[in-house]
This record gives sequence, structure tokens and C-alpha cells, in this order.
Amino acid sequence: MLRYIARRLLQIVPTLLGISIISFSLLYIFPGDPAEFIVEARYAVEPTQEMVKKIRMEMGLDRPMLVQYLDWLSKAVRGDFGKSWTEDKPVMDLILERLPASAQLFFTTFAISIAFAMLLGIISAIYKDRAVDHFCRIFSLLGISIPSFWLGLILIWIFSVQLRLLPAFGYGGIEHLILPVLTWSFSFMAIKTRFVRSCLLEALSQDYVITARAKGLPERIVVLRHALRNALIPIITYFSLSISHLIVGSIMVEVVFSWPGLGSLLVESVFKRDFPVVQALVFISGVLFVIVNLVVDILYAVIDPRIRYGD
Amino acid sequence: MITRRDFLKYMTLGSATLLLGCAKKTPIATPTATPTTPTYKAEFVLGYGKDHRLRGGKWGIGFFPKIHVLERLVEYDLKNDDYVPCLAKKWEVEQDGKVLTFELNKGVKFSDGSEFDAKAVKFTVEWLKINHPLGSETFESAEIVDDYTVSITFKDAMFFNLAKMAEFHMSIMSPKSVRPEGDPKGEFVLPIGTGAFKVVDYKEEQYAVYAPNEFWYERFGIKPKFKRFVVRFIKDEDTRVMALKSGEVDAISDYSHGGSDYTPRNQLGLLQREGYKVFKRVIPLTWIIAFNYKKEPFNDVKMREAVDLAVNRDEVVKIFDNQVLPARTLFIEDAPGVKEAGVTYEYNPEKAKQIIDELGCAGIEVNMIVDKAQSDQILVCQLIQQQLKDIGINVNLEILETGAYKQKRDAGEYDMRLYYIGGTDRRFYLRMFWRFHPARKWKAYVSERTGDLCEKILTEFDKEKRKQYLIEFYRAIHEEHGVVPLYFDIMTTVASKNVDISYEDMFHYPNGIPFGEPLFYAVGVREV
Repeated sequence: MLRYIARRLLQIVPTLLGISIISFSLLYIFPGDPAEFIVEARYAVEPTQEMVKKIRMEMGLDRPMLVQYLDWLSKAVRGDFGKSWTEDKPVMDLILERLPASAQLFFTTFAISIAFAMLLGIISAIYKDRAVDHFCRIFSLLGISIPSFWLGLILIWIFSVQLRLLPAFGYGGIEHLILPVLTWSFSFMAIKTRFVRSCLLEALSQDYVITARAKGLPERIVVLRHALRNALIPIITYFSLSISHLIVGSIMVEVVFSWPGLGSLLVESVFKRDFPVVQALVFISGVLFVIVNLVVDILYAVIDPRIRYGD
Repeated sequence: MITRRDFLKYMTLGSATLLLGCAKKTPIATPTATPTTPTYKAEFVLGYGKDHRLRGGKWGIGFFPKIHVLERLVEYDLKNDDYVPCLAKKWEVEQDGKVLTFELNKGVKFSDGSEFDAKAVKFTVEWLKINHPLGSETFESAEIVDDYTVSITFKDAMFFNLAKMAEFHMSIMSPKSVRPEGDPKGEFVLPIGTGAFKVVDYKEEQYAVYAPNEFWYERFGIKPKFKRFVVRFIKDEDTRVMALKSGEVDAISDYSHGGSDYTPRNQLGLLQREGYKVFKRVIPLTWIIAFNYKKEPFNDVKMREAVDLAVNRDEVVKIFDNQVLPARTLFIEDAPGVKEAGVTYEYNPEKAKQIIDELGCAGIEVNMIVDKAQSDQILVCQLIQQQLKDIGINVNLEILETGAYKQKRDAGEYDMRLYYIGGTDRRFYLRMFWRFHPARKWKAYVSERTGDLCEKILTEFDKEKRKQYLIEFYRAIHEEHGVVPLYFDIMTTVASKNVDISYEDMFHYPNGIPFGEPLFYAVGVREV
């Protein structure tokens, strides 16, 4: 087991390096001279040759790319992403300021989506090809197809403008949370519902389920204890990986509902060309994904010994 | 042309109508007599698209608090091309404008009750010099002559220095706005000014709460109709409109300084028909077509003339539901010298086609770049593409990511692009000359003749001479077809039916000085 964990840890090193290279390169991938971006973002004036030269030296942009990258990486692993070009604050402070709002929105959506996705997925699988299954599938299809900003506006129109039940925007009490969560959950649960359905259907077609049924076990026990338990492993993996949405998954929802989270911070930073913030968010998001993936893989191996291939 | 976003909007409205079709209808209110002395709510809530940055930042505090919390030494009257006193009573110009000595009004108080005096002006100048890009390129020093007289030395000698002092960026703040008090290198805490409002509370990216500054109201002999002025930051334009309709905000207002957080132009008419009060002001900001006039084919004045004649401005403004005005002059009529110049940009596609044929350029391919982030401008470019096709110019439209757009613009890899001259407020109108100034990088058009005139306009103190230069300048731009004016932009505020304010009060100071930005000091929100 330890060997398996060690191997997985080693395997993520190149992935993390790849993420760091991509995050760092964002500054250079975007067209234009980074020094000019800084002058424009910082001073909002036309960049002169002298200013550009001064900034290049000040920010170390005149050094070889590899040196710049290693310098950036050594600071990034310590949580130091430098200062925002536009806000005059450390990038990490900006991210931490927005994190609570993003976490609140994400975890509420996550909990609700999982509960409903499980429920609808199980119902859909049990009643395969019947009316309720068709309903659940259409519901999922709509969830996948309808853009979040469109649904958000529709919900505002109904619940805020017409019925005057809920606020149209803002961050604060539970009433502010309802519409953004509803909007995001709709698409969030749609794919998961289909995934639960297909995993459960696959499990239900296995020999051990036939055996369980042949033993005369009640269908409830067959589905929940035998089929669902076995189907849960990929479902948990899939659900866990959704945690990466915490950082940037809710961009449209945050913009529509003026929710002061990390998604809107990313959008603002991209528009303002505030690259340190963009780099940090991309990097953290990627690292979070890899770490969650690793934890899930290890748990997976703990739950199912067949996974430990090389052990 | 319907964009994907428009399509989705119509779908949204259509679906909402269907969904609500069976809903119980709200009875239409029967008109009742308005009480003679209405009771006003203690709070006025405004929806706004941009954070006020009350804790400062690289570019200082936001425009909103600069306008509503702070004041300037002088104000600019565009119509009369004149400078009028504000915090300064009078001023003297020395050394061809290199030094301006301001005599300040006595008895003016900051919102915290402290006295406005020469120390505050000196502090502001020094703070701007260190912390603000415009300050660092403008000021050399400030000297206190006496408690109410201050002498400001500028880096260059020119008339434009006085104009700059009327800019929002040069608003005067109390030395108590920083910690330690009065230290220009100190940490910025909150803006304390002499303006109509004072800051009460602020949550970044969420809201700002202001209260009337009793000293300001007292100075103008008026009384506020609310106790709290809450500004809620709502980024999405559609959500902002819906927040107004749901009654969560009493009004919504535009922010247009270098952004596009404005009420969608195509919703203004609809809102007006629904009974909302729409306050609209044409601003001295003209959207234009800028050419790459240094290379073929637009280094030829005849080619530029052909484009100028081929653009149907009446069609362009239809994109904005006719809410903006077609630009048949380089600037709005209020701008000094525009009427006297007698220049009109005409629409004559036949003549344009004839020019193209004479030049043997029928079927010529040109490219036009547009920034992807400016959705309205993409529509304008698409329309221009169609109009130019009719005279034989094939426009290859490149919709580019902001960085790529800037890169191509700066490298001169384009033939045409959209641009704007002037600014949202009348005082920024003078900045238009940067667009024609040879020393500037982001210029719209420069020739020897226009560059020379531009320099004279920025340095000449004599009003009449300056006006003559302006007239000549407008004529020169027209004769050389340097740019193609398209439309004059607007600033709007949309208010609920129960918001009491006149157009005059919204766009004028209590002493009658016209103001380009909406003002809210006279707002009263009636209890319903």
C-alpha cells in the first residue's frame, strides 16, 4: 500500500510541474509585452520605452525565462504569488478575501446537487425506460444544455421581478444564496444524475445482482446494498473531482448574481490583465484538482484492493 | 444582426412570458392624487456596475467617490469654454501657465468638520504626485502662500494645466484621508472631502454606504431628502435592470470611464414605456473610425473620404435603439467652435463609390480590428463592413482578444479600427487633443497641420484665439478626413417611478453649473 501511495505521489510531480509551467506561461502566452501590461495596469498610461525598460528591470522580466520561472515557482509553493498589478495588494490576500463566498456557494451547491443527483439517478435506473426515467433524463439533458447565465436570469425574472420573493443579486443571508445555488445546481446535478444512472445500471446487470435476486432478496436490498454499494466507487471518484470547481466553476453564476467569489475575481483579472491573479487562480485550481485526485485514488485503493496493481 | 447573446435574451423573455402567462395578474394601480408634500424614504439605493474602490488602489479611488465625495478647485463649463470657481475663488496664471496661484474660498468644511485650506491643497498635490500617474506627470510642487492661497507649479507651461485641475482625478481631499495624517506617503484610509456625501460604510465589490455631508448642503442652502445613500455593485447589466424592476434598487446609473458598465441602450425605450424615469445626457465622447493613415490604402485622403461618405450614421445608431446620436460633426454642438466651424459629415454612397472607382480600388481588401470585449463595437464594425461592401471595399473583420487587439493596434497591423475621442464628462473633452497630439502613442490621427493646431490649443490661454484654433482644427480634420465620426455617446440613469428628481438637478450643481455625470444630491424616494 505504501509503495502504491509513494508511486502515486511521484506520478503527480510531473503533472504539478506541468500545471506550474502552464500557469507561469500565461503571462507570455497572451499576446503583448508583459512589461507593457504592467505599465498599463499599474499606471493606466501609455507605456513609454523608458517605463517599459524600468518595469522590465524592476520585475526581473529581463532575466532568462527559466530563471524567472524558478523564481516564480519557489515563491508560489510558499503561497506567495506577488502583488496584484491593479489592486496594490498581495494576490493571496485577494484570493483569501473571496474564498469564503466561493466556498459557501460551492459547498451548498455540491451538497444539494449530490443529494438530488443520487436520488434522481437511482430512480432513473430502477425505473429504466419508464416515464419517470424519461423525465429524469430530459431533466438532465436540460440541465446540461441550458446555459447558467440564461437560467439565472430566468430565475431572477420569476422569483425577484415577478414574485418578489428573493433578492436578484448580492451576498449576505440565506435568501441571497437560494437563486445562485438553484442555478448552479441545475447544471451541476444534471451530468451527475446521468452518471449515477449509468453506473447503477451497469452494476444491476452484474452476476452478483442476479444471484442476489435469485436468493429472493427484496429489490430494495438488491439495489441499495448490492448494486449501489458497488456502483458508488466511480461515483465517489467523480463527485470528489468536482471540488476543483470551487475555484473557477461558478464564473457565470457569480457574474449574474454579483456574488463576490473567486470566479468573478478571475473574470475581472482577465479583463484587467492582472496576470499574477490569473496565474495564481489557474495554479491553485490545477493543484487542487491533482491533490483531490490523489486522495481519491488512495482512498479508492484502500476501499478496493484490486486497485493496488503494483503492490 | 442578432447575436447569440441577443438570441438568448429574447429566448429568456419569451420563456418567462410563457411561464408567467398563467400567473395571476397584478392589478393595475389606479392613479391617485400626489400629496403636495411627499414623504421620502430615509434611504436611496442605487445599482451601479463598478466597485467604488474606496480604499484606493493603483489608480486611486473610483470615479464615483471622486465626483460625489470630493470637489475640485475649478470646474469647466464646456458650453462657454470657461473655468468657473469651485473650491477656489479665483486664480492667477504666471509664467505662461507653469504656475497657477489659487485663492481659496473661506468657510468651506470637509465632511468631518475640519477646515478646507491651503494645507489640504498642498497635501492633495503632493499625494497625487506620489500616488497618481496623472499627478506625477503634471505637478512639480505646491507652496502655501497663506492659509487660503496656494501656488501650484506644473511640469510644463500650458493652458491645459488649468483644464487638468478641473479633472476628477485632481479632486481635493482632506489630509486626514491618510495615516499618518497629512503624510503624502502615508497609507490611504478613506476619502474625506468637501463634496455632497461622506463615506459611512464600504464592503469591497458589494456595496458603499454614504450619508449627506451637512456642510455641503448648508453651503448651497438646500436640504437632503434621504439619510443614507446606498450604492450596490451589480456587475451584470441585465441583473441591474432586473434589480430595478424588482424594487431592490431605486435607480441604476451608468459607469462609462474606460468600461462599459452601462444600462443596455436597447432597454432604455422599453423601461421608459414601462414608466421608469430615464435621464439621458449626450456626452462629449465621439466614437470614430480611426485609420492606419501611415500606410496604404488609407494614407490616401481620397480613400479615407470614400469611407467617410459611405458610412450611414443613422443606421449605426439603430444598433443602440436610436438612443445615441449620429455624429455629423466631430463633436457635440456644445463643444466650443463646433458650430462656428460649419463642418458637416455627410452620407453619400454614390459619391463614395465613384471615388473608389476613380481610384481603381473596387474590390480592395482591407482589415478592421475590434476588441472582443466590446460587444457593442463588434456590431458597429459588422454594420460598417456591410456598408463599405456596397461601395466596393471588402472589410476583413478581425475580432480579437483584448491583448491581441492592443498588440496589433500598437504594431500598426490594421487598416481601420473603432476608437473614441473626448470623454464621459465635459472636462475630459479636452483630453481629445491627446488623440491628435504628435507626442502621444495612442493617437487617432496626426498630420503636421492638425498636430500644430493641437499644440496651440493646449497651450493658448486667450479664449478667443483658442477658439479660432479649434475652428481651424475641426476644419483640418474634416478636410483631411483624418477620422470618421460615428456617434455621440450618452450617460444614463434610470429611476423608479417613486424617485423624485428633475433632469436639471440630475445634471447640474445647485449653483447651476452643468455637470456631465449624474448627480444624486437632490434625489428623494417617495414612500409608496
